[in-house]
Parts: sequence; C-alpha cells; structure tokens
Amino acid sequence: MGYPHKPHAKETKVLSKYFGDPEARTYKGWVKRGGYEAWRQAQTLAPAAITDLVKESGLRGRGGAGFPTGLKWSFMPKDKKKPHYLCVNADESEPGTFKDREIMRWTPHALLEGTAIAMRAIQAEVAYVYIRGEFTEPYAIMAQALAEATAAGAFGDLKIHLHRGAGAYICGEETALMNSIEGKRGNPRIKPPFPAAFGVFGMPTTINNVETLAAVPPILTNGPAWYKKMSLSNPKSTGTKLFSVCGHVQKPGNYELTMGFPLKDLLFELCGGMRPGRTLKACIPGGSSVPILDRAETEACLLDYEGAVERGTMLGSGGVIVFDDSADMVYQIMRLARFYAHESCAQCTQCREGTAWTTKILERILAGQGKATDLDLLLDLSENMTGKTICVLSDSCAAPVVSGIKKFRGEFEDYIAGKRKPVLVA
Amino acid sequence: MANDVVNLTIDGMPVSVPPGTLLIEAAKQAGVLVPHYCYHPGLPVAGLCRMCLVQVEKAPKLQIACATPVAEGMVVDTQSEQAKSARMGVLELLLINHPLDCPICDQAGECELQDFTFQEGRPATRYSPDYAKRFNPVEDFGPDVLYVPNRCILCTRCVRFMEDVTKEPVLNVSERGDRAYIGIHPEARLDHPWAGNVVDLCPVGSLLSKDFLHKARAWELDKTASVCTGCSQGCNVTLDTRDNVVVRVRPRPNLDVNRYFICDHGRLNYRWMNRGDRIEAPLVKRAGAELQAVDWDEALARAATVLRGAGGRTVALASPKLSTEALFLTRELFAGLDWTGAVQIVMGEEAPLAGVPNLALRPERAPNGTAAQLLGYSRDYAAALKAAESAAVVLVLDEPEVTIRTAGALIYLGTVLPDGARDAEVVLPIANVAEEEGSFVNRDGRVQRYFQAKPAPGMARPAWWVLAELLTALGRGESLAGPDAAFDRLARSVGAFAGLSYASIGALGKPVNTAVPATA
Amino acid sequence: MSASARPTHDAATEPYQPVFAGKVLEELQSLLGRYPTKQGALLPALWLVQRQRGWISDRDMTEVAAVLGLTPAYVKGVVTFYTMYHQHPVGQNFVQVCTTSPCNICGAEDVVRALLQATGAKELGATSPDGRWTVIEVECLGACGFATPVLINDDFIESVSPEKVPDLVKRYR
Repeated sequence: MGYPHKPHAKETKVLSKYFGDPEARTYKGWVKRGGYEAWRQAQTLAPAAITDLVKESGLRGRGGAGFPTGLKWSFMPKDKKKPHYLCVNADESEPGTFKDREIMRWTPHALLEGTAIAMRAIQAEVAYVYIRGEFTEPYAIMAQALAEATAAGAFGDLKIHLHRGAGAYICGEETALMNSIEGKRGNPRIKPPFPAAFGVFGMPTTINNVETLAAVPPILTNGPAWYKKMSLSNPKSTGTKLFSVCGHVQKPGNYELTMGFPLKDLLFELCGGMRPGRTLKACIPGGSSVPILDRAETEACLLDYEGAVERGTMLGSGGVIVFDDSADMVYQIMRLARFYAHESCAQCTQCREGTAWTTKILERILAGQGKATDLDLLLDLSENMTGKTICVLSDSCAAPVVSGIKKFRGEFEDYIAGKRKPVLVA
Repeated sequence: MANDVVNLTIDGMPVSVPPGTLLIEAAKQAGVLVPHYCYHPGLPVAGLCRMCLVQVEKAPKLQIACATPVAEGMVVDTQSEQAKSARMGVLELLLINHPLDCPICDQAGECELQDFTFQEGRPATRYSPDYAKRFNPVEDFGPDVLYVPNRCILCTRCVRFMEDVTKEPVLNVSERGDRAYIGIHPEARLDHPWAGNVVDLCPVGSLLSKDFLHKARAWELDKTASVCTGCSQGCNVTLDTRDNVVVRVRPRPNLDVNRYFICDHGRLNYRWMNRGDRIEAPLVKRAGAELQAVDWDEALARAATVLRGAGGRTVALASPKLSTEALFLTRELFAGLDWTGAVQIVMGEEAPLAGVPNLALRPERAPNGTAAQLLGYSRDYAAALKAAESAAVVLVLDEPEVTIRTAGALIYLGTVLPDGARDAEVVLPIANVAEEEGSFVNRDGRVQRYFQAKPAPGMARPAWWVLAELLTALGRGESLAGPDAAFDRLARSVGAFAGLSYASIGALGKPVNTAVPATA
Repeated sequence: MSASARPTHDAATEPYQPVFAGKVLEELQSLLGRYPTKQGALLPALWLVQRQRGWISDRDMTEVAAVLGLTPAYVKGVVTFYTMYHQHPVGQNFVQVCTTSPCNICGAEDVVRALLQATGAKELGATSPDGRWTVIEVECLGACGFATPVLINDDFIESVSPEKVPDLVKRYR
C-alpha cells in the first residue's frame, strides 16, 4: 500500500533501487544483484583507505546531524588498544521519518554490508544494530538476513548483533542508544567524552545511521567521485538521500533524490501535490525537530544541508511533513510538544519540565483559555529550552513552537481572542 | 611548574588551580558559589540539573560549570545576562511543580532551592495556578528515610550515592519526562547502613530523616563541629542543637577521614548526649550515710585525700569516649604509683562504605581507643577489673557497664551514676562529649578536636578540668585554663604527640606519631 | 508510585515460577554471549519475560535482577523508562495506535475512536470486559507515510482507516 511506488523519473535510485523486490532480501538474491562486492573490495583495503574513500565521497550522516561520515570514522583510535564497537542507529523515531524502516525491510543486506565495511574501517569486531522495538517486521527481516549472511560466512570473524529497543524516542540519540545497549535507561550522556573515546561499554565506538551505512557499499563499488558528482546545489551536500514524505500529499512515501533537489518539485511533482481543493500551508522538511517552513519558504527550499539552513530550518533526517490549509497549526504544534514531553528522558530540568509546561500552555490555548501573554511566555520558555541541555530533545520541542508562532501567529491569536472555537476541553 | 597549575579568570578574578579542576570548584576559589543541584563533590558528575550554566569566553553555548574542566587562559563570566537568565529559567522550571509548603518542610532554612531562588530567581512564577502540580504520595523508603516526591527536583544525588558510593543501587529514577520520580523496588528497602546520607545529599526537602522529622526548624539550630563517638573511624560531624538539646548529627566534610558521609549508626547515636538523669553536683560519702551533694572544693579535697592515702596498687577504668586530655591527666594522676589503666571497648559488626576506601563503621565502637593505647591503657578490661578487687584506689571514668568490686577506695568521675558507682567515696560529675571541648585519636592515628555544643548540667565540669584540679590539689601542677593547655602539656610529655599543639590540630585533625611506643 | 499502587504480583500467595528455566534460560544464556557485561542483556531479557508472561511484574523484575546480577530497583528503573514493557497485565490483544502529528492530520484520532468501539475497550489503556483488548495511543510508530499505522501485538499494520477497523478487529477474534 502506498509504497513502494513506481519510480519517478526525477528520482535517483541508489539505495531504493531494489525496494519492492522481495528477492533482494535474500542473501543469494543480494549477491546476484552485485551485493557484497563492495565488502569483498573493502577486505582488500586498509581501514584508513576505506575511511579515505568515504571522506572523499562527501557522505554525511543521514540520521539528522549531517556530520561527515569519513571524518567521524577517522576519530577512532588508530592504534587499537581496546575493543572497538560500531553501533548502527536503526531506532528511527523522528516523527515524519520512515526511511530506515524501508531500507531494513527491502534491502537488509545493504545495511549489513555497509555495517561490515564500517567495522573494518574503524577496526571494530562487534556491531550492534539497535532497532526500535515497534519495528517488528524490519527486525524479523534483518534477523533473517543476518542469519543467512552469517551462515554463508559473509562476515568472517565480525560479530553483528541485533538489539531491540523497547519504546523510547530518545534512544535515537547516540549516547542514549549506547546506554540502552548497556542495559540502562536511555539517558543521553554529557559530552565529552565523545563516543570515539568512550562509547558503548566504555570502549571506542562509532555510531552511524542505517541510511548512512547503506550508502557505503555503492560508494565503494562506484567510487567516491561518482557519489560526489551527485549534487544539484551545494558541493558540500553530495549523493542521494531518501526523503520520507507524509501528511497532506497525494502520494506519501519515500523518494530518493539527489542532494539539492527542490522541495517544491518533490511535493508537487513526485508526491502529486495536495489533495483536491487544498493548498500547501506549511512543511517540516527534516523530521519534527526542525523549524517549520511556511508555504513560500517551502517552495524556495532546496533539499540539501545548506539549502535547508538557508531557509531557516534543517535537513535533519529528511522526514518531510506536509500540512495543507485544513491543518490546525496550533493543534499540530501541541501534538508535537506532547510528543517531546512524552519522550523526555527526565534528566535536564529545561526538558523535563519545559516540554510538559509548553504542552500545557498549548492545550490551554486550544481550550479557549489562552492568555494574551501566553505567546511571549512560550517564546521565552522555548529560549530557555534551547542550547542549554545535554541533548537536543528540548531544542526539538522548542523549534516547532518558535517557528510556528513566528509564522502562524494569527492562528494562535484567534484561539486566544475567542475567534476560533476551542477544540480541547480545559 | 607550568603544568602544575592552570590560570584562568572567573568574574574578573584571576585564579590558579590544578589541571583537571572543574569550573564549579575553581569558582569557589574566586569566592563565587555557582548555583547547582545535581553536582556534589562526593558523587560522580551527572550534569543534568543545568543550574550551573555559566558563560565561557569563546564557547558557542553556555557551559555547565560542574562538568567543564578549567583550561589555561579561560575567561569565565558567571554573571553574564545570558547565564543569569538561563539559571533563572531553570529555577522557574524547578519551581513549577514544587509545592509552596516551606512552612511545613524540614528543609526550609537549609534548602538549596530556597537559597538559590533567593540568590538568582524570579520573584513570581509564570506558571498558571490553574495547572495542577505534580502529585505523588509520600513513600516510606527505609528505617530512617521518607520520600516526599512532590518536592523532588530529580537531581539524582540519592540515586548516584546508592549506586556509586554504597554500590547498592536500591534507588532508581522511575518513569520519564515530567512523570519521573525517585523509585524503589517494592521488595527493596533503603536500609543500607550508610543510607541516611541521602537525606543530607538531597538539596531540597524530598528525602527526610524520620528521626529529625518536624523536630526543629533549621534556623533554630546551633551547629557545632564535633567528632562522631560511634566507632573508631572518627568521622567528622556537626552536632545540631536546639535549646541545648542535640537534635541531629550530620557529617562534616573531611576528605581524609569520612569525605562527606557518616553511617546511620553514628548519625543516630546521640540521644545519650541529652540524658536527663545526670549527676549535677559532686557527691561524697559521709560516714554511714548515702552520697551527699557538696561543693567542688570539698569534693576535690576528699578525692585528693583518698589519692594521697593510696598506699598500694591503683587502677583506672576508663570509658573510651573520654577525651585524650582526660586520659592523659588520669595517667598523670597516678604517676609514680603502681598503676593499671584499661578501657572497655564494645565490639560490633563492621559496615564499610564500599565506594570510599578506608571508610567504614568499625567494629570498635569507641572513638578514643587509640589515644588510650598510646597513653598506656590496656584493652584487657577484665584483667583490670580483677586487679581492682585488691587495689587501694580505683578511679572509674564514666559509666562502667559492670559492677566494680574493690577492697579499696572508689573515686568515680561520670556523667550519670550507675548502681555500680554508688559505693564510691567521691563522685565527680563530668561533661559529656557534647558539653566539652577536647580531642580523640581515631584508628588511623589522627588526632581530631571536638567542640562544645551545649552547656553541661548543673555543676558538671569537663573531665580534664576535674583531673587537673585534682592534680593541683595534690600539689602536682597548676590549674589548666582549657583543654588546649591540657593537650599542650600532653604533647610535651608523650612522644606520639610530640610537635603537635592544640591549635595546630585545627578543624580537620592531624596525624600523631603512632610509631612511638606507648609509655606507661 | 502509581505502579506500586497496582497489584504487584497476583500470585503472591502461590509459589513463584521462574521465567528463566529450560528453553527460556537457554535463550537468555545465548543472549549473554552478545554483550561484554551481563547488564547488557537486560533489555532482551525483559523482552523474554514479557513474551512469556504478557507483562513484567515486580517479582519478575526481581528474578531478572538476580539472573543478571543487578538489583530489583535498578531493573525497575529501566523497565519504567521503556514504554513497551508492560508493568501491569494487558488485554490478550494489545493495540498501539500512532497519533503523533503526521498521523493526526491524516485522521488517527478517528482510527482510535473506531478501535475503541470495535474492541469494546471503551477507554484508552483500559482492557475490554472480555479481557481480549487493550487500546492505547502511542507516539510516532515510524511509518508516517502509511497513516495510520497500528501495532496489534507484534503485527505492524499500515494505513488503517476507520472503515477498515471492524474487519481488522475481526481477524483477531
């Protein structure tokens, strides 16, 4: 249903080439499609050489932060004195994002192959693939693929383990994920120390997102130059990226685009535009944690790291949430705040108390009992919640609130002034 | 030298500290107390309350002083608009769910939430009174600890203490987000022998001592530096008194002895200091009569007479709660005589604090056994009792737990009058540890001073004074002005204490030379 | 707090039957090999308990703690962090409906209403009188393009609309 859709001519299918092809899920099927060739090549290369290739490709982390992958790998100690670990972040939980799920469902071996290559590059002997607990189907498919590849001796001495999460958005934060693997509450850690020095089980660790690792095998087989050339706008953003589109579009789903692709074209050409009679109102282009764009900003936004920043937002995870003119922005922002309040780990004061208070204020506005001072209070509270905590969950709650009030202030004021019928009961 | 110190500036004040020092500690040296909740020097850094945010020049964001190590040339501004506003923001958020129940909260007056709100906070909250505050019922955590979750600010000091210091993680953070609270498994109890420290560590009134519950307001308390008498560890404590009654014992930080902690045995071992059945006047035995109250002059003269007539063996049976000064002067009293001295040391189970080396509730439940040993007292109390039977004079110092049988004369110095001392020729009332100044030597040979927390009842006087006056009455020395004079006399004559003076011991103690053999 | 107010272990009077025995113990032992510390196996061990029991009681937490060399309080702190571990019994079919913003704008709240009606669970979090159903709202299930995703036990069902609910519920009868 919905996906996999027919490839669109404007897509660049690298990661999603075999989406919808059940045979590609099997070890044999993957090998037949050229799979594990990159891993074979990698085994002939020195770890540093693999890292250099990835550096050269310009690949950046696809989980949200966009940190250069090769550079991250190069932070690992060169002279190995302790066990090294790789953590694979498959805890995809950012509202609006559902790309890693698709990679694991259709091309589990792409992820496993990328994992093995990364392990070699960082000299890790053990990798944990942290799959969020709700992803029952991707977990089963990954387990099957891992069993097949292991039976075929694909990874030699490397140990890859699947680790199932149990319902905590924050475990997508890298240090929280490590704590969770260690059997702890998923609390983010204060940094430094950084994972490359003190990661999971206190050992040097690299953590990469599913999509990042899945992009590594094609980089090795096709060469970094090939990957680097895929860039429509800013040369610092290279390759392809999966964009998960959801909300008010005709054809939601995952679309693989070359970096720098116009957001407008994604929504109106690939996704078929708005529903009949509806117009675009707002868009969150990088998962719910990034600032909301209004219509004009959406139409001007290019989908790469720099393009998003230019419009005052971030590319994030590439989860594109689309709102048409029927959307109640106040209500939706409240839903997002409630999400963060639910997911706050409870460590930092600003986050624990701030996300809950923000939600209460928004709920009160929606109940028709907002006060004129509430918007300033929300903005000031958001300021308190930004840039002051261990991780960015608190910032993520503030981003839609601040951008929402800035761009859709009238909707908030209508509720406060009683011009709009309350939708919640106080 | 360059590597030994790091130079930085905090609020315009140049500071030099060892490398690795955390900003929050360096700030103290500049006279700046950066507000904080989760940070405690005795616990691993958590960095989660975010209260200690300060501005560091060239850093893109505010930094938490508790987790930021100093760096050469660092310029720190704790009072920048940004930093102040961030801290005020944290306080406002901590207070939105915190009840305004200070009038009935034991922590009021010594509450870090009150203190820092006063120092930094917003005069009024913007949290609507329409919103219900978080509510959870009070929980009984253990023998001496209650948890009031409504006041909790989730700093996790208690959780980290149990996890990292006692190594028995009995507490947890349960749930998450604003629903979080400090939890305990229903089948577990907070009954670790050192658990009471969580009450001290709690910066607010969330963890309360049942023993101290609603006993006193913090501002009514007088605080006196003392040394715990619970065992031979010699933990530094503060005696909190209200109207001259000891109502609470809390740890006093001493990194060399007990860091920031005391055990529950020591914490709750104070009620005897408030006993009402005290001897309030010197007593002498009149011929064929009961003991009768007399003045000090008469009592001392009577005791001197008894001692002067001592024509044979003498025995001193001493409590190991006696000050070093009193133990020394007792020995002086018997100088030149056939003398046997012994202390009675009660033994118990050891209870170590796993996360701190060399810190435990020691089996020897006596604070001054080491001084007694250095001064030539034996631990063979039974043998001394036996010797007492045939002694000419027996001097008993405080509360013997056995009946003394002697053919000779009994002089009793004590706080209370046990049946066993009713046969005494002379009874001389002395002060207890809370009522006098003096010193103890702990098991590691560290001499530490304790101070007077409340007046002695009636005519009771410190044992050092009584013994010094006795010596004077015997024509062997002058009256002593204070325990300092007693100690300094001791330092001049006992090798282990050579080179020390009472003043030099200070508030945190000094090692004595335990290698010097005891002299009888 | 709320948790301790609930019945902790309904078998308080019966002798406790350990989860980790026989095959399940073997499973746990093979899990232990994956982590350098015993504690590392805590999340998977809790999954095993929930699979065997349907939920995780305080008594079960004590067993897990003993098996992994942890304290029961520590285990409880972890259990309460992760929303997928049930701290009390739930219906035979446990239904999780995503209602976060992207699904919300696609009608997730209508799906919730339809599910409550079709299952007879009446209100969120409550178990239907026949003990068969518990329906809860959850935050993002990570399938926003397939609004509204519903997780029934371990079955992940995409693109559920109110119209599809009655048939869906029938499948679990």
